[in-house]
Amino acid sequence: MGEKRTDLLRGTLDLLVLKALSLEPLHGVGISRRITQITKGAFQVSFGSLFPSLHRMEERGWVEAEWRSSENNRRAKYYRLTSSGCTQLKVEERDWDRVVKIMAAAVQST
Amino acid sequence: MPKRILSLFRNLFRKRAVEQALDDELRSSVEFLTQEKMKHGLSQAVARREALIELGGIEQVKEEVRAVRAGRFLEDFARDGRFAFRTLAKSPGFTTVAVLTLALGIGANTAIFSVMDAVVLRPLPYKDPASLIMVKESIPLAGPEPIPVCAPDVIQFQRQNQVFEAVAAFRGGQFDLAGVDEPERITADRVNANLFSLLDMQPMLGRTFTTEEDQPGHSLAILNYALWQRRFGGDPGVIGRTLTLDRQPYTVIGIMPRNFVFPLEGMEQGHTADVFAPMGFTPEELADVGDNFNYSVLARLKPGVTLGRANADISAIAYRILQTYPPQFRDRIKLGAVALPLNTKVVGKVKTLLLLLLGAVGFVLLIACANVASLLLTRAAHRQREIAVRLALGAGRLRVLRQLAAENLLLALAGAGLGLLLAFAILRGMVGWMPANIPRVNAIGINSTVLAFTLVLVLLTGLVFGVEPALASWRTDLQSTLKEGGRSAQQGLRHRRLRSALVVGEVALSLVLLVGAGLLLRSFERVLATEAGFQPDHVLTASLSLPETQYKQPQQIRAFYRELMARLEQLPGVMTVGASTDLPLQAGWNHIFSPEGGQPPPGAGLNLCWHSVILGDYLQTMRVPLLRGRYFNQQDTPTSTPVLIVSESLAKRYWPNQDPIGKRLKWGPPESNDPWLTIVGVVGDVKQGPLDAPTVQHTYEPYAQDIVPASALNVAMRAAGDPASLAASLRVAVWGLDRQLAVAQVRTMDEVISESVAPRRFNLYLLAAFAALAAVLAAIGIYGVISYSVAQRTHEIGIRVALGARRGDLLRQVVGQGLLLMAAGVVIGVLGALALTRFLANLLYEIKPIDPATFIAVSLLLATVALLASYIPARRATKVDPMVALRYE
Repeated sequence: MGEKRTDLLRGTLDLLVLKALSLEPLHGVGISRRITQITKGAFQVSFGSLFPSLHRMEERGWVEAEWRSSENNRRAKYYRLTSSGCTQLKVEERDWDRVVKIMAAAVQST
Repeated sequence: MPKRILSLFRNLFRKRAVEQALDDELRSSVEFLTQEKMKHGLSQAVARREALIELGGIEQVKEEVRAVRAGRFLEDFARDGRFAFRTLAKSPGFTTVAVLTLALGIGANTAIFSVMDAVVLRPLPYKDPASLIMVKESIPLAGPEPIPVCAPDVIQFQRQNQVFEAVAAFRGGQFDLAGVDEPERITADRVNANLFSLLDMQPMLGRTFTTEEDQPGHSLAILNYALWQRRFGGDPGVIGRTLTLDRQPYTVIGIMPRNFVFPLEGMEQGHTADVFAPMGFTPEELADVGDNFNYSVLARLKPGVTLGRANADISAIAYRILQTYPPQFRDRIKLGAVALPLNTKVVGKVKTLLLLLLGAVGFVLLIACANVASLLLTRAAHRQREIAVRLALGAGRLRVLRQLAAENLLLALAGAGLGLLLAFAILRGMVGWMPANIPRVNAIGINSTVLAFTLVLVLLTGLVFGVEPALASWRTDLQSTLKEGGRSAQQGLRHRRLRSALVVGEVALSLVLLVGAGLLLRSFERVLATEAGFQPDHVLTASLSLPETQYKQPQQIRAFYRELMARLEQLPGVMTVGASTDLPLQAGWNHIFSPEGGQPPPGAGLNLCWHSVILGDYLQTMRVPLLRGRYFNQQDTPTSTPVLIVSESLAKRYWPNQDPIGKRLKWGPPESNDPWLTIVGVVGDVKQGPLDAPTVQHTYEPYAQDIVPASALNVAMRAAGDPASLAASLRVAVWGLDRQLAVAQVRTMDEVISESVAPRRFNLYLLAAFAALAAVLAAIGIYGVISYSVAQRTHEIGIRVALGARRGDLLRQVVGQGLLLMAAGVVIGVLGALALTRFLANLLYEIKPIDPATFIAVSLLLATVALLASYIPARRATKVDPMVALRYE
């Protein structure tokens, strides 16, 4: 992606990442795979977008990271949802609902 | 949010750890992806490559992460700064010149503005200064200037007025302060008790005196901060102690704070007071109606009262006072009163000078900015290619712009920092050096408003001229810029025109300044060349003042001085000794006299002259030439005929074609009963007032015949060798007679002259400094333009040389270019100077504002400077090796 990054896309990405982590802690690659899974293959998140998003959320305190050994006995940085992250997830879900309703109404009207 | 701030700090200060962690994370992600793909059957190498592709490249992802990191803005800022620093360091010549030019402009500007601010612009150091006024009286027949108030009238103004919140009188005098070390002459003011509350100034230690204590007999003293520090070492224990003023004991009751300065120059002749004592009007003083107008009066207007109403009120009071005079006095005196706002009184005299300096500084700043702009334009042209390349490689336009802005910002800051140091140095140097007539010298300090203003101006210049090339490159076609080798013809032409215009402006501005300085210089020379009427070399002077309390009887005073003269004459190395009530080049006042039988000058009202009482061989010591008759001698005693010596101008005016010897005159109007004085000698005119003031008619009287012998005299001694070496023996001689007497103002006559022209010299040096600075900067400007033009045309010059052009022709052509610029600048400058120098008029002496000699000399000077500035790069042009030049792009 170039320098430009639409806010809408970033917003949806954050929501997907939070959702992906809501079940269990994952590392970067794992989050990407999980998102592909929960969107039924529709979204392939590029790592150039994912990692900035993760780091930003980590700075904000919505996720916490720790280095653990993974299933292959390799060390990886695992991300976990914090309590404020949980709250943020709920907020984003609610906002998304609202946006969907507004857009649907707007698009339907002639 | 707080978490974000923590992250910010972590990102800034633990950058390496953060970067390392990111690197680890990305590498481990690549590992995972590789493993994943290997599971799908790919070989490790292929899997790894695929993994990297899917990740999007480790470095690229890192960049993306960095872009959103907290503190990114600051990081970029820091990086721009470091890059800017390196870029500037790579061209040290440009950077040094730019920074120095800026520093000079900013430093000088800030320094002078600070002076202006402290002296002119800032309000007076008292509460609500706009409502402070000086009350003065006037006697039209004695002169147009208002005069101080007499003691009984002070009381009347205080009682009868309806327009003032408070009225306080003060009167200063010189006193001998004794008790500690050597006796010293200080200024002490008697003041009304309400003065301190009028000014709203409270003592730092102790207290001021009460209204009850404002009566005769209360010998209390309040010290000023400077005296307290200097004489008493800042010891708070000085409160309650006694000090001796003119042999009288005074109890110290308070110390005024550091910023308390009273009176100010312009309120009253003389210096600010070191000690304050209660006014305590004596009954004799209060009975002195219509005489001894010696008291200054400060008043504060009631809120809402206009100046006009105050004037009307006090004029009415003056009228009422006048009615109480005996009828014959009333016609003579015609007493009036006037209210003068304090502001105008204090600042008026100095305004011209400071406005002049303001103009000078403004010019210099403009020239400095023009030079910097010129430099930036040159640099911009060089960097066009570099910028084009960077843009072509994908640098964001905003980024490039930001980087250029960072460079200019750095230059401006460096220049400002250096300039600030320079300003401090200038102020420190100036304050020690300024003549005393600049008010409130102590209050001068760096003014932040000025600094900010100058900085903004410089930044603007820097941004506009520095960023312009980048903006220009937005518009140009990158391709053609790269192909042409970084020189766009059209832009180059515009830049060249701009730079030429700048230089022409610089030359014009410096011409104006140089003309101003030249005029002041010629005035100064004229003043110094003025016939003073005496010979100041080898003469030492000192001022003695016998206190009344110790020397009550006239014979005591006479005895002292007689004995002192005798002792001084005995000193080795002394040729002649004398004393006078007034030294040359100082102030004096008019005495009314009436000549006997002489020709009164046509149409004159009163006959006026200045008068001194002299003792010993005063006139001989000063080598004032005797034109007719004789000097005073032993024959002139208290019982012999009262005699007089007059100055040449007086003799010529009243007895034009006769011998004045033997003629007589007396003091006062024709009907006065004063004794007639016989003229026994005529001496040459002496400049008793300032050198640049008209010569005053003067008379001399022998000390022996002065009915009330003056207790304050100036001693003058002519030395065979160095007069300063007599100072110690003089003091010893005086203290041998009276240990407590202060020997004040010990100076050689040369020093007296030097001091009297000090203000004029100061103006001159200051303006000359600015003019020189301007000229230097303008020369640098011309040099820069020509130099660059030569460099740009090296290619063309090389061709011409190869084709057979003579070096001499080339030289002439290039120098001609420089002279053309200079000529244009001179023409504009001369026009400007013709218009502006009239504002200098009241600082000039015997020189007209449009003095042809000065104009011509300055124009020639600038022409020579321009010639030199063009010649040096021109020579370089002729040295161009055609083979090298042809290959040069």
